[in-house]
Amino acid sequence: MSFLKDLFEHDGNGWWKIPKTSEAEPNPKSEHPFGDFVKRAKGFMVWMTSGKGHAGPGYYWAIAAILGAITLVEVWWFDQEGLRYILVPAMLGFSLVKFVLVVAFFMHLRFDHKLFSYIFVTCMVIGVFIFSLFILLSAFHGYGN
Amino acid sequence: MSSDNITVHHGEEINNSTGVSNKKLLMWAFLGSDVMFFGTFIGTFMAYRNKSLNGPYPADTLDIPITTVSTFVLLMSSLGIVLALHYLKESKMGLAKLWLFAVIIMGLIFMGFQVYEFSHFAHIGMTPQVNLFGSTFFTLTSLHGAHVSLGILWLIFLLYNEFNGNLTSDNAVDLEIAGLYWHFVDIVWILIFGLLYLITAGDGVPPGGIPWEGAH
Repeated sequence: MSFLKDLFEHDGNGWWKIPKTSEAEPNPKSEHPFGDFVKRAKGFMVWMTSGKGHAGPGYYWAIAAILGAITLVEVWWFDQEGLRYILVPAMLGFSLVKFVLVVAFFMHLRFDHKLFSYIFVTCMVIGVFIFSLFILLSAFHGYGN
Repeated sequence: MSSDNITVHHGEEINNSTGVSNKKLLMWAFLGSDVMFFGTFIGTFMAYRNKSLNGPYPADTLDIPITTVSTFVLLMSSLGIVLALHYLKESKMGLAKLWLFAVIIMGLIFMGFQVYEFSHFAHIGMTPQVNLFGSTFFTLTSLHGAHVSLGILWLIFLLYNEFNGNLTSDNAVDLEIAGLYWHFVDIVWILIFGLLYLITAGDGVPPGGIPWEGAH
């Protein structure tokens, strides 16, 4: 972490010696290879989270865009004959990512009381266990006859 | 219970030792039970996959482009309700009403797609009693549809309360728990779309099955 801190938040006069800086200050805070990228990124995150430490409208739009994009990739994948052999794990993976995004951000589980997470995850584990049991029973039905 | 245990969160008294809203706790417990409920039905559907010996089979019936559109609509409705809640908490009532109304419309559009799909399936001869695929498909999707319908009625009730001034930022938790329910309906559909539609849509005649010759 120290290396990243040095790289992104160096106060000037570093060992890499940036030849030119666009800022006129003698010891500019953002004198590093990425300009004021970190400052801008922090500002963007503050805007995304409404400045209150939890998700805001920008955040929700970004999550919705990701969900929409994953859905399009899913349908594209389904249409590719060459990728059919890994269709099941791919769809399980995409569904899991979408599931986690909605539960964590839209349902606020990421920002809410841990008790809710414990309740939901416990039930999820039981649900997945039942699901897996059915699949296994189905797979071995008639085995040995 | 002593008054020391009573706190207030978004206008709701929290008078329990957990320190969380009773309404939200109840909703999460309900959603937990619903996860197991749908887990069972999705598991049953997958267990009976490729077990139908007569048609119509998934490859003969499922229409992925149409379902993709309805899936997208439901995903966007999740965005709508989270924005409605955000604006309600900030007391921006106009935007809160607008987004809640949009969510109701998107829910109705989704149900419209499902009604169209069911009637199309019935028209070509795919009914719940025709084979295992039909039985498990209709059981799962109609149960999900019933959840969506209940959610729409709930949201209409909340919108009515918003217009009457009975739903404000002070009791935003009422919209929050309805939102949790709506998001849950959305994630169940995410799983149904991935597992039931995309994975099985290519399934044709299984070994020993009779090829389907279309509706008579």
